[in-house]
Amino acid sequence: MHKYELVVILQADLEEAVLDAAVENIETLIKSNQGEITKIDRWGKRKLAYPINKTNEGYYFYIEFDYKPEEVVNLKRTLGFNEQVLRSSVIRVD
Amino acid sequence: MTENKSYDRSDRGDDRRERGGNRGNNNRRFVSRPKFCQFCSDPKIAIDYKNVDLLSRLINETGKIRPRRQTGTCAKHQREVATAIKNARHIALLPFEGDFWADNN
Repeated sequence: MHKYELVVILQADLEEAVLDAAVENIETLIKSNQGEITKIDRWGKRKLAYPINKTNEGYYFYIEFDYKPEEVVNLKRTLGFNEQVLRSSVIRVD
Repeated sequence: MTENKSYDRSDRGDDRRERGGNRGNNNRRFVSRPKFCQFCSDPKIAIDYKNVDLLSRLINETGKIRPRRQTGTCAKHQREVATAIKNARHIALLPFEGDFWADNN
């Protein structure tokens, strides 16, 4: 298990309920693979420094968690399949 | 921006001399260099890709990473700064190119 930081940018034009559901989905995805979430931080809507998929705004949220290194590839791939996710980054901190 | 276009590489020596003479009235060209590394002198400053306020001071108005000779950062911390800026660019906190403060207003 190693410590990771995940930042996900969701589409900002989604409704509050949809955003909450999307965040929860990702939380359960991490937990279902024996990940331990230590910190969740919602940065909320932010202007992007450059347009992604022709949008200028994104909904940011941040998760700090412990995860198995071999499972990180799968996590990244699943996030990539999710159409609500504009961009995601997983960075190992320790 | 127009200044960048007029910058002629074939003629570098002249350009430098001109730059030196311009110091008094053009703050953009001459940046007074700190004598010490800010990250060494204050270990509390964490170089983090999420700290946009800090990192935006370490890029210039075209979005490039500012060199050590301008910021005074030591080699060790400059490496950390560079990775942090690159990580921040990936999640659109900092621009790859261009002035993003102009767009934010």
